[in-house]
Amino acid sequence: MSEFLGNTQGALAALYEILQTSVLQLFADPTQLSPNQSVVVAAPAMFVGAVLWTFWSGQRRTKVKLRAEFTPGKVYYHAPPPLKVIPCHTPFGMKLETYLRMADIPYETMYSWRMGPKGKIPWIEYNGEAMGDSGLIIEFLNREKGVDLNQSLSEADKAVSRAFTKMGEENTYWGGVRNRWIDNLDQMQELMEVSWIGMLLLRSLRVKRRRNLWAHGMGRHSKDEIEGIVEKDVKAISTFLGTKPYLMGDEPTEADAAVFGQLSEVCCAFPGSYMERLVTVEYPNLQAYFNRMKDRYWPDWGELTKTSVPLSVIEVLSSQYL
Amino acid sequence: MSGSLGDVQGSLAALYENLQTLVLLLFTDPTQLSYGQAFVLVGVSVLLVATVVWTFFGRQNGTMVFINAVLRTFGTGQTKTGAGFTPGKVYVYGPPSVKAIPSLFPFSMKLETYLRMADIPYQPVHVWSTQGPKVCAYTSCNGKIPWIEYNGEAMGDSGLILEFLNKEKDVDLNQSLSEADKAVSRAFTKMVEESTYWGLVQSRYMDNYGKLHDLFELPWTVMFLVRSVGQREIRQMMRGHGIGRHSKEEIEGIMEKDLKAISSFLGAKPYLMGDEPTEVDAAVFGQLSEIVWTAPDSYLHRIVTVDYPNLLVYCNRIKDRYWSDWDQLTKKSKKDK
Repeated sequence: MSEFLGNTQGALAALYEILQTSVLQLFADPTQLSPNQSVVVAAPAMFVGAVLWTFWSGQRRTKVKLRAEFTPGKVYYHAPPPLKVIPCHTPFGMKLETYLRMADIPYETMYSWRMGPKGKIPWIEYNGEAMGDSGLIIEFLNREKGVDLNQSLSEADKAVSRAFTKMGEENTYWGGVRNRWIDNLDQMQELMEVSWIGMLLLRSLRVKRRRNLWAHGMGRHSKDEIEGIVEKDVKAISTFLGTKPYLMGDEPTEADAAVFGQLSEVCCAFPGSYMERLVTVEYPNLQAYFNRMKDRYWPDWGELTKTSVPLSVIEVLSSQYL
Repeated sequence: MSGSLGDVQGSLAALYENLQTLVLLLFTDPTQLSYGQAFVLVGVSVLLVATVVWTFFGRQNGTMVFINAVLRTFGTGQTKTGAGFTPGKVYVYGPPSVKAIPSLFPFSMKLETYLRMADIPYQPVHVWSTQGPKVCAYTSCNGKIPWIEYNGEAMGDSGLILEFLNKEKDVDLNQSLSEADKAVSRAFTKMVEESTYWGLVQSRYMDNYGKLHDLFELPWTVMFLVRSVGQREIRQMMRGHGIGRHSKEEIEGIMEKDLKAISSFLGAKPYLMGDEPTEVDAAVFGQLSEIVWTAPDSYLHRIVTVDYPNLLVYCNRIKDRYWSDWDQLTKKSKKDK
């Protein structure tokens, strides 16, 4: 035992010496480094590099390419191109664009797969500034354009409105993420008209989505538990809607944009899934509500979905990793 | 330049040859390796593996994911209570009480308030463990606090626990509500737990980290040591959730609007849905109690005491009704020993 210890001690001393010499050599004359020395120096350097990279790359704001020339006061709306089944595959895109139509704010659509300043889609450019997060964008535009879709609501109703918006966006949404990215990724291939290279990309993005799911908390549940959660959310929206034409009454309000955004995914983006069954079979007033909103604010739905554009691997990669 | 390039090329080739020899030696006749060589080989491989692992897992809030995966594969099936549990009894796992509040975790406050509202007797088990001892099939152990043991099975997630206990113990705190009211109830629960909750996390663990050792009643050195890892995990979680992509001011704005919504909806009512408490009150109290009693001097505290004081009144009402032993529980904390 003591012999082994002695040997270990000797070996450690030898290792330390090697390290010392290598580092000195590195600074004195790198070209003279022997292969052993360079490995001894390179391996810890790589490890330190990996650690630093994780710290640095997590913090940066996504670099966004802005237009060189813009019309002041004009909203440039950035979103991914339409798919065969839905004008925008992210519910927040559906929400934001529905809001712009409800509020009669003219906008110019720029289809691209690039991420916005917060690393998410959709995003807008306004007066030369990029802005992310549909909720914050809506608040900003409300102020900027003097819009208030909630003016007919009491304070208590506005509160309920916010609660339903949050439930749809912070809870039900994640059930959709799980369905799309984890359980039915292959369906994406068809929906997004993706080549096999694109599928490789999607699979690598799936890792990120799984991570996000775990961080949020939803990813810690089983598939059945998540389906149960989504069902209860959908049931809540349905019961609260009841026989009303819109969520808060006879006229649409801001919450309708948000709820319609989430529901449009549930209704259209997961054909053949339990989600589709929920809105068509079990809570059909939601299908009727969806159609009502679609007919009123998306008369060009059919046209848009016909012009679907296949996924651009290069654009997605460059905006995710560069 | 070309001279050194040639050198680099030469040394890379020699390096490759060297490694090749070492690895061959390792497999054919390890005893021929000198201790120095062996250490270099082992040390370098460890570092290379660590680099790969870190690159893939280090960016996740899932150094926990990795640990969970290991536990799932190799964990044992013993519950903490082992064979000695009382059937039908609820064991609630969570960290010990502190001077500020019976539990520093909002979902624990929610769960215990629910158990008290539903008159379900329970046994608190005070441990600092987020992992049920049972091997984690993806279902039962989510790696969060609180979790319970019931009839020898571990269960996580306060929402799922509530649904389970409602069925098991035949409880329905929402029975007086209409279907539409139950829907509103769920919406507010989700808002406060999926949105407001994160503002509290940001305030407590990121903005006011210096106060944590006092709050958690842990030595300052411990909090200092875990700070970089702990905050990084939380930052990554918030980024994954989405809210972490906002600036501090944007998050404060979101919190203000959430709390305003709860206050407007509560209005002059004694409880959120009317004259009697329902399930949503447990959820909302769970989050608000943390703001009221563990976040003094923060903007959150100002919002619930100054801007929307009906929230403070509401919290005190629930505390007086369901937490009459609050002072005893919090006095038992280490601070006064």
